[in-house]
Amino acid sequence: MLSHFLLMVLFALLVSLFFALLWRRGRREQVKLFLQIFLGMVGGGLLVAWLMYPFPSGPPAPIP
Amino acid sequence: MAESGSTDVPQPTPPRGNPIVAVVSAWLIPGMGHVYLKRRLRGLAFLVLVVAAMLIGCRLEGNLYQVVPGQPLTILATLGSMGMGFPYFLLRYGLHYQGNVRGAGYEYGTAFLLTAGLMNLLLVLDAWDIVRGKKE
Repeated sequence: MLSHFLLMVLFALLVSLFFALLWRRGRREQVKLFLQIFLGMVGGGLLVAWLMYPFPSGPPAPIP
Repeated sequence: MAESGSTDVPQPTPPRGNPIVAVVSAWLIPGMGHVYLKRRLRGLAFLVLVVAAMLIGCRLEGNLYQVVPGQPLTILATLGSMGMGFPYFLLRYGLHYQGNVRGAGYEYGTAFLLTAGLMNLLLVLDAWDIVRGKKE
């Protein structure tokens, strides 16, 4: 449950489903928008992760 | 010469219900505004999505925002979280839900909980547009 990637995919799934249902009416249009948002979010997340890969992660932030 | 009634601009349709009832019910129970406006299937789908986001957020022990004195941004975050309506108050005051800042999923859970509230606020606006005839 605590996999970063799984949570990112789950979040993208919920959000893209939500907006596809909210903004489009036809089934075909809904599927198209769903795929655009979902792939954009997951692909964008992976791209940002890849760009950040060379940076050192550093120590974990202190818990207040 | 084109007639005035033959433009492609969609004409608003008359209201289908009471706007106040639609908006309040949409806020209180996610998807209920759409059910009230005879969009039962969509309303049910929205209910499932918002409640799923909320439950995942709770499972991850995320923060259910409340106003913290001296931190004005928590006002906005609290309003966003309160957007989920009745479930917010049920969690906060009925179940005395507390996030766990030491939990591994704390930040993710907070994002899910806040998103649930914001999604429901968009549903309220959508119900308003439908009942005013601006949207199907």
